[in-house]
Amino acid sequence: MAKTYDYLFKLLLIGDSGVGKTCILFRFSEDAFNTTFISTIGIDFKIRTIDLDGKKIKLQIWDTAGQERFRTITTAYYRGAMGIMLVYDITNEKSFENIKNWIRNIEENASADVEKMLLGNKCELEEKRQVSKERGEQLAIEYGIKFIETSAKASIRVEEAFFTLARDIKAKMEKKLEASNPPRGGHQIRASEPQKKPTSWLSRCTIL
Amino acid sequence: MDYEFPKEFDLIVVGTGVVESILSAAASRVGKRVLQIDENDYYGGQWASFSLESIIKSKHHKKDYGGNESETNLLRFGNDLVSLKNIAHKFHMTSNNTLEEETDKIENEEQPKENKWTEENLLKLSRKFNIDLYPKLQYARGDFVELLISSNIARYCEYRSVSRILIWFNNRLESLPCSRSDVFANTKVSVVEKRMLMKLLTSLNDKEKHVQNYENKTFKEFLTDKKLTPNLIHYVLYGISSSSDDTSCEDGIEKARRFLNSLGRFGNTPFLFSLYGSGEIPQAFCRLSAVFGGTFALGQQIQGFSISDDKFKSVTLQSQTVEAEKLVLNIENLPARFIKSDKLEYISRCILITDRSVLDSEKEHLSLIFYPPTDGKSFTTVIEMGFLTGTCPNNLYLVHLIAKQNTSPQEDFQHVIDKLFASHVEETSQEKPSILWSYYFSMPETNDIILSDDLPNNIFVCPGPEIDLDYDTSVDKAKLLFEKMYPDLEFLPRAPDPEEIIIGDDNEEEESTDINEEDHDKVINVEQEDKENVISAEQEDKVNVISAEQEDKVDQQ
Repeated sequence: MAKTYDYLFKLLLIGDSGVGKTCILFRFSEDAFNTTFISTIGIDFKIRTIDLDGKKIKLQIWDTAGQERFRTITTAYYRGAMGIMLVYDITNEKSFENIKNWIRNIEENASADVEKMLLGNKCELEEKRQVSKERGEQLAIEYGIKFIETSAKASIRVEEAFFTLARDIKAKMEKKLEASNPPRGGHQIRASEPQKKPTSWLSRCTIL
Repeated sequence: MDYEFPKEFDLIVVGTGVVESILSAAASRVGKRVLQIDENDYYGGQWASFSLESIIKSKHHKKDYGGNESETNLLRFGNDLVSLKNIAHKFHMTSNNTLEEETDKIENEEQPKENKWTEENLLKLSRKFNIDLYPKLQYARGDFVELLISSNIARYCEYRSVSRILIWFNNRLESLPCSRSDVFANTKVSVVEKRMLMKLLTSLNDKEKHVQNYENKTFKEFLTDKKLTPNLIHYVLYGISSSSDDTSCEDGIEKARRFLNSLGRFGNTPFLFSLYGSGEIPQAFCRLSAVFGGTFALGQQIQGFSISDDKFKSVTLQSQTVEAEKLVLNIENLPARFIKSDKLEYISRCILITDRSVLDSEKEHLSLIFYPPTDGKSFTTVIEMGFLTGTCPNNLYLVHLIAKQNTSPQEDFQHVIDKLFASHVEETSQEKPSILWSYYFSMPETNDIILSDDLPNNIFVCPGPEIDLDYDTSVDKAKLLFEKMYPDLEFLPRAPDPEEIIIGDDNEEEESTDINEEDHDKVINVEQEDKENVISAEQEDKVNVISAEQEDKVDQQ
């Protein structure tokens, strides 16, 4: 039987309220944009399967469910995440400054080798820009992560961002699989194991 | 702080323990506008998990409650009665700074030589610990697991099955024969006994028949009358039904049946455990509540709440008063005047970090150990967690002891600890694990607490953890409260799930998209119904102005 995908990656969107996390999610998963998605009510995660170098990669992208608003993101949100999009709004200085706090939050809660990427969203609003592209680049260099300016509204480079992150995770994972066989520690293995039907949990069970 | 909540909600939930989080999720799920707040800057209250450093630092009790009423006629949350008591922690090895080299090794290889653990290098691994205040298991076919599945909350957690069950018998640890294959593989049980045991286990299904003549008798009497051998009575009474000598026949049979019914669903034992600790469970419900519009705020300074005309009216936070139709709160947060009971039962708790398993074995990472009552000591449940449970670093074990309190946690567990562990690092024996760190406390048992009659009828009080191994009592309690709160609404109906539909079938690519669309619609509907709950962009801007101090606080979680 043909499998529908080779890898499953859990990705997270993190950043202040109103920077456009949900819009980015919808742009990427449905190619849609809707300004009424100001708050993230009812949205848990979205799925899109992409092709990368002949492999089908299922991206499961989780939204914060509004819990970023009062900094009450559950620790469980970070569990098992392989990639994190750190999003700020180029028209909102504060959202950019808060990125360092979010990074600290990630360091405390997510797995140490999680792949991160910095997104400056709303780049179509050039006239309202408060954060220069150079500053975004500089911050990304500081943390040793990649940086892209996107626009969910105008559909600029959103695809590119997710493909880049997915490619980096895939590369890291394949390298790891090669290097250490068998890998230690249970929870990193998960993504490389094609998920079975939820009904067939064995000793380690997850209903996704 | 500068941010503001909407002025009005349908429901305010104070506390983030399991029962109140289930209620929060259930209310949000059916479209109620929910605000859930906690004075702690972490989720879970008495159900939380901590890193090693944070459990040592955490006080687990609030400031004094002297004078319940403030000048403004606000009732203050909290009471002195329901809090953790007799907290005592200790590192059992000498603190030694000269072992820097060793520490580096641990960081790199996680392969320290035996007996080289120091306070410093344990603390360095602090964040790899998820230490439950109250560890809970889940019966594979219990109400709780069924609820996780039916409500689709299961997707927020991962689970491990308990890999073995041990029982203290004849002065040693033995595997408990619980499944058919265990029974037959067991060398300690004679062939005749095997037949006897299988016959009993099969026949327990017909509960009515058994209970008839044993209405006022104990389960032990029942088993004795069945002419079981002492071996078998020990296994069934203390193991399979985890009962004591005075457990009634009806309860004993019921417990044994739950155990047997949950066999064979996931793994070799009837129990599941949530990966990364029991503290994940309340958070899973909070996540669902948030997905359906619930507003969450931790580390809140709450001034109190007001009652008028015998009804709960509003909660006053640091600088804002928020009204709601109903209030759900944890018993910890209930003002003392609404608690009738003046004396509480306690559960003795002990948490240990050890350097090896109580019974070494290659593949066992999560053991449940039953220690039967002896010499007036209570039945003790021991849960040993290894690295693969996500609750402790490699090469270390986290051991939880739970018993109904007789005198004090130290005294209640001394006999068990003497038998299972070496008492000092120096006196290492080849077989017994050494205790590196211990943490003792008393947990109040609040499930049967009696509330005063003048509690307003739009206030709903949730108990903390109770002595049972699992969450089923908590689920029942939450269901009961939800029924009282919203008699006509469904309790946690299935949440839409795009992931589940896409996974699984191998030829679903096309049809799944359709179902996805449908789910999408459902999601949008919820959003529109809840429009009023949407915090405006203006308010969101305010939220961004959180001071660094506040962030630090929240970050610590």
